Amino acid sequence: MEKVNVFDQIGKNKRNSILLSFLVFVILFALVYFISQLFLPELAFFILIISFLLILADIYFSYNYGDKIVLRAVNAKPADERRHRYLIDTVEGLAIAAGVPKPNVYVMESDEINAFACGKDPKHASICVTTGALENLKRDELEGVIGHEMSHIRNYDVRFATLVAVLVGLAAIVSYMFLRTLRFGSFRSEDERKGGAIILIMFIIAILFAIIAPIVTRLVQAAISRRREYLADASGAELTRYPDGLANALEKIKKINEGKMKVSEAVSHLFISDPNRSPLDNLFATHPPLSERIRILRSM
Amino acid sequence: MALWIWLIPLFIIVVIALIVVYYINRVVVLSNRIDNAWSQIDVQLKKRADLVPNLVETVKGYAKHEKSIMEEAIRARERMLKAGTPQEKIKAGTALSAALRSVFAIAENYPQLKASDNFKLLQEQLEGIENKIAYSRQFYNDSVLSFNNMITTIPGSWFASMLGRSKARDYLTVEEKERKPVKVEF
Repeated sequence: MEKVNVFDQIGKNKRNSILLSFLVFVILFALVYFISQLFLPELAFFILIISFLLILADIYFSYNYGDKIVLRAVNAKPADERRHRYLIDTVEGLAIAAGVPKPNVYVMESDEINAFACGKDPKHASICVTTGALENLKRDELEGVIGHEMSHIRNYDVRFATLVAVLVGLAAIVSYMFLRTLRFGSFRSEDERKGGAIILIMFIIAILFAIIAPIVTRLVQAAISRRREYLADASGAELTRYPDGLANALEKIKKINEGKMKVSEAVSHLFISDPNRSPLDNLFATHPPLSERIRILRSM
Repeated sequence: MALWIWLIPLFIIVVIALIVVYYINRVVVLSNRIDNAWSQIDVQLKKRADLVPNLVETVKGYAKHEKSIMEEAIRARERMLKAGTPQEKIKAGTALSAALRSVFAIAENYPQLKASDNFKLLQEQLEGIENKIAYSRQFYNDSVLSFNNMITTIPGSWFASMLGRSKARDYLTVEEKERKPVKVEF
């Protein structure tokens, strides 16, 4: 069904993506300019040329490989052809219903029920579902969740959301991945004592990142309209022709999820329901309240 | 000054030309989308038909005496493959679906067959395909709706008649029982 607001949404997402890339470019370039003027004025010209190329490369890679970075950051694994057949079939079916190419299907380890989509356009998109969702959701509920993600893909929400995560939240993602490596002790090798100083420096950097990252990511998520979640709920229900499926799934999410998924704050706006609940949510909620979403779906 | 005045009609002509191009393209795109939607259905119908030989082979190993049901499934598949027009295919597809269901029903009397990995895999495949058929029909009907809306409202209707595509396309009607995901246990 063609709806004008879906086309508006696609146009808006494409414009926002270009705007964001431009903004990040200008801010980074200005930053490099001031720092080089301050410390190395005689080399400023070379630094500017090199940083110009590096920033362009950063934006290019964020646009083309943002989905890979996000999937890596949450430790998603490609769905198994045999074991996750049921999930893959559901995704393929809803891709047909939405008239988009079949997205790649990923699964991530977590007891909580959650899912997200990422990618630069419908031809290069991925859908990732938690193991908790596969265990706890019935078929029509899973269809509801996938339908919601499929509309994010069709509306090009994924392009803007992925760019936001990677361009703005990169520091947060890197610090998160770094902290995770520290926690799992990949550094516990034989040259632990020799690398003591290096670890200390990295640790300080990580702590710095850990302080800056939440501030940046909160700002980022403020940029993402919460209206897009309602829109995706509605057009997802249009795909499955069964709004109660998604409503029941959200009900289960409300009951089971504790908001303690271990993912970077920078990617949390991609998920269907907030993966990290925090006291700050009262001030800047990253997701619309579940009870409101359920109420709207029930009234369809 | 005089030059500027001449630019106004030029601008209007360009705008009109852009609108015409937009609508003509839209009619063609929407009409092509219906054909594409049909080919999606066709692919899934073909896949379902291709389950039959495998299924018959598997069932034979456990239930030799159920010949007539299996022959019926094979005949339904042949009719399906011979069908030409979309309507014929949909009709043959419905018959094939019924035949497949009765083959799967056999398993109730043969616990070993029901428990075999191959059989379970086929069951899953059928369920997946049936769902995709339902979704591809839905997409087909959505595409028909978009196209019909386009060619029956102004100004789309003018361009549609210009292109000779002013005939509203038919929806695929679905029997109610088919809409639900097929449960193969009875």
